[in-house]
Amino acid sequence: MNTLINRYAFAVWLRNFLTWQKMVWSSLASNVVNPVIFLFAFGFGLGSVIETMAGVPYLAFIVPGMMAYGAMFSSSFEATVSAYARFQMQRTWDAMLSTPLTLSELLVGELVWSACKGMLSCTAVLVVAAIWGGVSSIAGGLLALPVLMLASLAFAGCGLAATAFARNWEFFSYFFTFWITPMFMFSGVFFEIGRFPDFIQVFAWILPMTHLVEVIRPLMIGLALQPLDVLIHLGYLAAVTVVSFIVALYRLRRRLFD
Amino acid sequence: MASIIEASGLKKTFGGIEAVRGIDLAIESGRCVGLLGPNGAGKTTTMRMLMGLCRPSEGKITVLGATPTSMPREVRARIGLVPQEDNLDPDLTVRQNLEAFGRYYGLATADIDERVPQLLDFMQLSQRAGAQVMHLSGGMKRRLVLARAMIGNPDLVILDEPTTGLDPQARVMIWRQLLALKRQGKTLLLTTHYMDEAERLCDMILMIDNGAVLDSGTPRDLIGRHVKAHVLEIDKPLPRELPLAQTEDLGDSVLLFVDEVQSVLEAMPPETVFNHRPANLEDVFLRLTGRQLRER
Repeated sequence: MNTLINRYAFAVWLRNFLTWQKMVWSSLASNVVNPVIFLFAFGFGLGSVIETMAGVPYLAFIVPGMMAYGAMFSSSFEATVSAYARFQMQRTWDAMLSTPLTLSELLVGELVWSACKGMLSCTAVLVVAAIWGGVSSIAGGLLALPVLMLASLAFAGCGLAATAFARNWEFFSYFFTFWITPMFMFSGVFFEIGRFPDFIQVFAWILPMTHLVEVIRPLMIGLALQPLDVLIHLGYLAAVTVVSFIVALYRLRRRLFD
Repeated sequence: MASIIEASGLKKTFGGIEAVRGIDLAIESGRCVGLLGPNGAGKTTTMRMLMGLCRPSEGKITVLGATPTSMPREVRARIGLVPQEDNLDPDLTVRQNLEAFGRYYGLATADIDERVPQLLDFMQLSQRAGAQVMHLSGGMKRRLVLARAMIGNPDLVILDEPTTGLDPQARVMIWRQLLALKRQGKTLLLTTHYMDEAERLCDMILMIDNGAVLDSGTPRDLIGRHVKAHVLEIDKPLPRELPLAQTEDLGDSVLLFVDEVQSVLEAMPPETVFNHRPANLEDVFLRLTGRQLRER
């Protein structure tokens, strides 16, 4: 991995950044406004009905969940729909691969870029929530960011793996139905997963989102965290990143070059 | 002279379909070689294999001393590709497209800043340096793709249909710049459907069909080998008194190939409608690959 984070991978990242810069407003709308709308709807709408959850005001409870959702949705979207457009519609990947740049460097550039899009979203949620008074510990919020970055890499990796298998746009409707939506509903964004029946809880722990929420929520609402638990959650996110990246790389290698 | 590209017994099968079935080629440094063949003949697949973008099913390739699928980065940096389809970055400007490619080639920023204006000038794009690519005409996009392929100052330039779809002015301009590259000692390998383009640019031509080389040589060699020097296209009904040795029936008319044209012209009855021209590569191409439409 070490040798893959080099100037060639950075060239891919920079290409995406330059393109993003030109449509910064429409991009910010989907990446920032979207989770913020959710935050308001659930924080204030549902928050007026539910007073506390896990011993804290519902708004404070839901802010980490919304940050996780923003990171998850944005990085997944960038690594699937946007990356697929570069791959199959604009043929940007073909152009890149006709140069000394390698496929693994291309994918590292895309992976890190997609994770940065995730960070953009969750940072925006944090800022808005802090202004609104929904963040009790700013230090906890800042500590959550590196965890969100690691998780964004995992989401981006899974997205790139999906892109590597996608043959058309319809493929992504499966990805959103069977991957994004469960992480939205079953990973503890709105309420603790302990309320689900056991078999759903088992399924929930497969999803990287559950591990992310499980670390950042206690960090932000000031609950105790077991170091070993944290290590396991972070380890799981790192493992998902590595495995999904390798799947994407091998699948694309066969698809492009064989 | 040393060969810059050598391939032998090159084969490629896609899901049971043989796209390339045994191509041999050797290209010397500083030459311009054309791959000619109908759509689906295997030209693009061959080029992709030479670039290492497609793994051969069988056969051996050496490009600039390396095997394309495991080509070291330094070798890869000596090749520029002009692909058939336009894969410029539509959201970036002309200049940004070149700069991005400079970074993919691993060039230092100072080198990129030096080369980009030179290439813009070479391809007469300086006026449009700040334009978004999506606002360029087809000819300008093609020139930009060519400029982009030159960013790493390559020794070998591979061009897949460099002038398809362009107006005559743009084609002439691109030809002139390709000949300039040849004079700089670069090796060019191109595919084309335009026989005049191949005749004008190429030192050697490989006629390809159904994934195999039908014949190769200089344009003049090929014409001499497969057709005669003169072509007379004669409308039907044919005059009886003509010596019809080498002919091809086109339906309403007949092509007559002859080495010596004077005796035929004298034997032609005055009412005959005909057209006389020197034989060209297109006659060879159609003779070797047939007149039937390929994509039905």
